[in-house]
Amino acid sequence: MTTTAPPSHDSTLTTRLAAIVGERRVLVREGELRSYASDGLPGYHARPSIAVFPGTRDETIAVVRLLAELGLPFVPRGAGTGLSGGALADGVVLLGLHRLTRIISIDAENARAVVEPGVVNASLTRAAAPFGLHYAPDPSSQTACTIGGNVAENAGGPHCLKYGVTLNHILAVTALLPSGDVVTLGNADGENDGYDLLGAYVGSEGCFGVALDVTVKLARNPQAVRTLLADFLSVDAAAHAVSAIIASGIVPAAMEMMDAATIQAVEASIYAAGYPTDAAAILLIELDGAAAGIDDDATRVAAFCRGAGARAVRTATDPAERARLWQGRKKAFGAMGRISPHLVVQDAVVPRTKLPAILAEIHRIGDRFRVKVCNVFHAGDGNLHPNIGYDATSADESERVHQAMSAIMQACIDAGGTITGEHGVGLDKLPYMESLFSAGTLGAMCALRDVFDPDRRANPGKVVPVHSCREWHAASSARHGGGS
Amino acid sequence: MSRQLVSDTAREVAGSVRAARENRAPLRIVGRGNWLDAGRPCRASSVLDIAPYSGIVEYEPGDLTLTARAGTTLAELARVTRAEGQWLPLDPGGSPESTLGATIATASAGPLASSFGTPRDQVLGCELVTGTGDVVHAGGRVVKNVAGFDLVRLNTGAWGTLGVITEVSVRLRALPALDRTFAVEMSAADAWQWLRASEYTPLAAELVSPAMSTILGTGASAVLLVRLGGNEALVSAAATSLVALGEVREVAPSVWDALAASEPPGSAVLRLSTAPSRCPALWERAAAIVERAHGSAHATLGRGVVRCILPVGGQDEDEMARLRGIIGALQHLGTSVVERLPASLWPSLVPPSAADPLSVGVRNAFDPDRLLNPGILGELA
Repeated sequence: MTTTAPPSHDSTLTTRLAAIVGERRVLVREGELRSYASDGLPGYHARPSIAVFPGTRDETIAVVRLLAELGLPFVPRGAGTGLSGGALADGVVLLGLHRLTRIISIDAENARAVVEPGVVNASLTRAAAPFGLHYAPDPSSQTACTIGGNVAENAGGPHCLKYGVTLNHILAVTALLPSGDVVTLGNADGENDGYDLLGAYVGSEGCFGVALDVTVKLARNPQAVRTLLADFLSVDAAAHAVSAIIASGIVPAAMEMMDAATIQAVEASIYAAGYPTDAAAILLIELDGAAAGIDDDATRVAAFCRGAGARAVRTATDPAERARLWQGRKKAFGAMGRISPHLVVQDAVVPRTKLPAILAEIHRIGDRFRVKVCNVFHAGDGNLHPNIGYDATSADESERVHQAMSAIMQACIDAGGTITGEHGVGLDKLPYMESLFSAGTLGAMCALRDVFDPDRRANPGKVVPVHSCREWHAASSARHGGGS
Repeated sequence: MSRQLVSDTAREVAGSVRAARENRAPLRIVGRGNWLDAGRPCRASSVLDIAPYSGIVEYEPGDLTLTARAGTTLAELARVTRAEGQWLPLDPGGSPESTLGATIATASAGPLASSFGTPRDQVLGCELVTGTGDVVHAGGRVVKNVAGFDLVRLNTGAWGTLGVITEVSVRLRALPALDRTFAVEMSAADAWQWLRASEYTPLAAELVSPAMSTILGTGASAVLLVRLGGNEALVSAAATSLVALGEVREVAPSVWDALAASEPPGSAVLRLSTAPSRCPALWERAAAIVERAHGSAHATLGRGVVRCILPVGGQDEDEMARLRGIIGALQHLGTSVVERLPASLWPSLVPPSAADPLSVGVRNAFDPDRLLNPGILGELA
């Protein structure tokens, strides 16, 4: 964890921030700040020196300009649902954007919306529903996470298999740079000429500034949906079904796998979805689109599952059953959290053909470190979520969990994959960046950050290890950003 | 060990870039040479030839991903992937002998972008050599990846000015079971209404001007070319839904190759764009101007992009004055991105495309000595 400990807060800063946002929106007391000392990732705690919550665009600009004037580092935060420690502010200012919840406009004709960064993902879909539209990227935390946070992390979700990730749905961002300058990235009203700065901004994890508004594409609600549940007696068989379906040219809207440990956790919880508890793996497959031809595709998908060894394939017969099948998947993390005090939700990607091998390897790693790994993931994308429930108050168990996760990350890198598909690097994945990228590549990432934030004040110490940046190395000698 | 290794291509290219740096001799990056008349004139003293660096580096069909050297042509990629029932759904205008590297560097897209997006949506990673001679591995080879800052998007469409692309990893798709194309005579407004309200998402829906329709052999009036993919039931239903709009004729899929190849060498080409709902109005006005100038046009309605192709009849003053008038009128209609233009017209007609402080900062970071394609974005030296 970072060791820098700037002065906790001084009264001048507090007064000046309060003058912008009002006293109630500036937190300085330890007890109040404790709520902001972690995000969705357990095991990491870091208290901000001050937390400030602007309620309007103008207040946000004024706050960031004040921080620029004073040369103070800050960490942007949406709903704090991130799973990589990206929103942790260790002794610096925390800038919460969750009060910026205005949906500025919905343009049904062009299927797009302009929203403030604090708009909750699912709220946007609700607001778009009367127009027959929805916002396609659907992280499991969609009832809480914000669009600003989604843009910062380039968030994914089950339906990204067909519809694409956040990057593919953002047309433009009005960004407030750490300097206080306001710039438009992308072009909502035509093609973008010049460098794709919007593409660089999406997924920059709060290091390139904060979004004041975001223009997103909305997707048309499909005419027809078919949700299938296939159960398998081996994970391997389920993985082969995934490959066969993908190779067929059918593009399911989503294709999610859950292993036995996950199924049992879900079925023992209030989110019980009727999954077969004796299965080694299930696939939850959704097809959507025009009604014409969808049943033919569903029949073929079921045949691919049976061909790969599925014991049974059932199709949801009504919207209620479909919702129930999905609730089990989306609340799987919650269900796991019920069995152990802490849950680390991991995120990595492997090439699709490596799924059977990597799942076997993850199982071996779990045995080696005596931890129980539950897998629930976006199988169609090869995007794994190996999760480990544990008790973070036990130093020994925490250490074994940490070692198991490191081994899993290395195995995914060795398989030609990557260390995060949708959760971001944050603090948690920093140690693996050097296993994945060369010094030259990390240096290029630092150089890009320096263009957006030459003073390195926005979300300092995240994403790229400080010590691996050649230029950073010279500038900041002994500072060391590392994991737990 | 697990990090990506520097390819031989990158090693050689890095040597060339470092030599250019020492000699202060800027480089013109060239693939098959199909793009040399695109972009502003370059101030380069020597050519960096990427064409020899071709071939597939890694292709595992089950992963639906492929890595190839930058000099590999789109035709070669199509041949290799088709054998596995897959494709890279990118159909930029120009020759299929264009390279993958140039396609990514210029972010070139065609009608298929309507459903598959542009190169930024399909590139998973690339290896490149920056203007400082450093080798960078941006992104990776898997279909989802948010590790670190996105150098892939930054370099896609940067026209080589931030780095010489030496290898590219792309996402492939399985070929649809059926792939049929229909031509329907209809107005731009009706075409947009159909696209907007239809339950069907065509692979492509491209409106072509009468002149273009004549070139393609699809008639003498404006038509909407609709490319439908999917299973039998879906494609038939979608084709049937077109009947209400006008006379529907099935045309050979080769019409798309003909469209890509339809631009005479030396033409002036620019793309106008707007929000899709305003595209029919943009189309009507642009098509009228283009027709008077004896050019042709086609529009990807779903993206709101109109491509205008204007013949250039020589380099004399009168012809330049004529073109200046036409292009100025077109630019007046909306956002414009100019692709190809006689060299003398660039400075007066097109402002620099990367002159904002962030873009200048990016260029300074990756090519501080302006060694890579200098001038192509209209930037100051």
